[in-house]
Amino acid sequence: MLRIDELRKRYGEKVALDGVSLTVRPGEMFGFVGANGAGKTTTMRIVMGVLQPDGGEVRWQDRPLDFATRRRFGYMPEERGLYAKMRVREQLEYFGRLHGMSPDRARRSADDLIERLGLTERRDTEVERLSLGNQQRVQLAVALVHEPEMLILDEPFSGLDPIAVDALAEVLLERTAAGVPVVFSSHQLELVERLCDSVGIIAGGRMVATGTVAELRARERHKRLRVVLSEAEPGWADRLPGTIVAKDGDEVILEPDDDQAVLLEAMRLGRVEQFGWVEPKLSEIFREAVA
Amino acid sequence: MNELGPVWLTTRREILVRGRSRAFIIGLAVTVLLVVAAVALPRLMGGGGDRYVVGLAGAQSDRLAAVLGAQAEAAEDTELTVVSYPDEAAARAGIESGEVEAAVVDNARLIVAESPGANLRTMLDTAHRIVATEERLRSAGLDPGAVQQAMQVEPLAQVSLSGTSEEEAGTRRMLAMAVVILLFLLIIQACTMVAMGVVEEKGSRIVEILLATIRPAQLLAGKVIGLGVLGLLQIAAIAVAAYAAAQVGGLLPELPEDTPGVLALSVGWFLLGYAFYAVLFAAIASLVSRQEELQSVLTPATLLLMASYFVAIYAVMEPAGTVARVLSIVPPFSAMVMPVRASGGEVPMWETGLAFGLMLLAVLLVLWLGGRVYERAVLRTGARVRIAEVLRAG
Repeated sequence: MLRIDELRKRYGEKVALDGVSLTVRPGEMFGFVGANGAGKTTTMRIVMGVLQPDGGEVRWQDRPLDFATRRRFGYMPEERGLYAKMRVREQLEYFGRLHGMSPDRARRSADDLIERLGLTERRDTEVERLSLGNQQRVQLAVALVHEPEMLILDEPFSGLDPIAVDALAEVLLERTAAGVPVVFSSHQLELVERLCDSVGIIAGGRMVATGTVAELRARERHKRLRVVLSEAEPGWADRLPGTIVAKDGDEVILEPDDDQAVLLEAMRLGRVEQFGWVEPKLSEIFREAVA
Repeated sequence: MNELGPVWLTTRREILVRGRSRAFIIGLAVTVLLVVAAVALPRLMGGGGDRYVVGLAGAQSDRLAAVLGAQAEAAEDTELTVVSYPDEAAARAGIESGEVEAAVVDNARLIVAESPGANLRTMLDTAHRIVATEERLRSAGLDPGAVQQAMQVEPLAQVSLSGTSEEEAGTRRMLAMAVVILLFLLIIQACTMVAMGVVEEKGSRIVEILLATIRPAQLLAGKVIGLGVLGLLQIAAIAVAAYAAAQVGGLLPELPEDTPGVLALSVGWFLLGYAFYAVLFAAIASLVSRQEELQSVLTPATLLLMASYFVAIYAVMEPAGTVARVLSIVPPFSAMVMPVRASGGEVPMWETGLAFGLMLLAVLLVLWLGGRVYERAVLRTGARVRIAEVLRAG
């Protein structure tokens, strides 16, 4: 279990992190979302020891995270970096061995990932000659090659085509199934919603919401009503007690003052075909939380 | 994994990846070709040494031919061919047709087309005197074998009071020059590769992944050692090529006896000089994130290296001068000036020792200071990091 506790960091005058705390449980896929400059990358760099925090700490299995433990983490930094002149397989083996794998194990793990990520034909190509999408796959393979105990991935999906996204998602889900916690940041909220067990929303260096997707939804759940009427006179929607958010033919979405009053009024205005709370999308929760 | 594992892995990576890069292979091939050409060409062009074709006729011709042959053999750069004629008329005809340039008849008369060169004249005169003397001693009733033995006199042994002959001094200057140029080229080349490698890793942020896995000192050590090994391989390749070319061309000058010692010492100085400049270059390179910024930020260090080079060249011309003596002890100049003085002749033991000790101290200082700068600057991407800021922080 990874616990991040009250992290603080400032760059000169600018406060980057203002007490960030979050917890990632074994086998959990944690989506880290927030606007640009909100503090996602700073948090991840501190976890990986690339940056020193001004305050707070990172704990792993209830002990302060040290260098030796961190070596068993897999990391994909925000700005991609690979050795341009090294071949794909050679590069993966190199990073595997740097993490302490035997030559044999490093090679087997490299070959396995190469196959899984669809790079078999590019195995002996120098990285600089690969397409950007393929470079990204190699970057991800570098983070995975040493069979890490924890994955910290900064924007792993950006710039990938849908097929690569699926391949990557499959690999990550497999790791979480094996009990490895995964933290990844992303701006693709549908993807986060689809993959993640937990989500943390960060804004201005503070966590504004954390929890499972269901928990976050529950908070926002009783906010918006969806009402569909038939046999009603035009202009019926305006008579409902609440603020209209959207209107499309027979369908209306509104934020009610009192949901039961809305139902009574709706029944008076026409035939109620559908009536219910709208499941909020993650993007809506996000906008709400960040606002 | 132990502490040295990552160092060995990064060293190996540098050697493999740089060593197979086109730039390295072409660079090495061109250097070797240039060195071979520089060594072999003078011999090929000049044809080397003197060639004579001499005619012999009449009495004592056989004995003359033998003596002349022995003389030509003793003189290194001389080739002498003897043509035998039945009589004087035939010899004259040989000269006129250009078959031979001079002819000795009956060991009494020298017939020439025009006056012969001084060397040839000396050889012919000497042979004439030896053979004529032998003949007279024999006619006086002495045993021919004993006469021949008596005539074999070793040339004068030369003892030079200044320790070195003019010729040897010339060879030593050449040796020193070669050592300086090689040292300079290799140090600047290898150190530039170190600096570029540091920026490559910093600029592309590989360093973030690397430093989440290994320590900065391990990464830096691997890079410096790996590229240093490549540098040594280059020295070896160039030295072997030059030696082979000189052998094949038959041009190898009589190298001073202490040459192997001088060369071994030069390798030692290369290691110290390289360690000093490589860490210096790496620390400076870690301040910037882009290759384009590298040139300007490296300028002071490059100037220091250039200054050492020019002092060393000056020392080749004036190995016993005060400037050479002083700067051969002051680091980092000593790394290039001391090998020059060493190949120029005797250097007092204590001076060599002092220079080595001081340079070693300088290397340790740079390792300590440069290591700190590198460690703190290499993760600060973006704008150029100021060195004072790095040293103050933490």
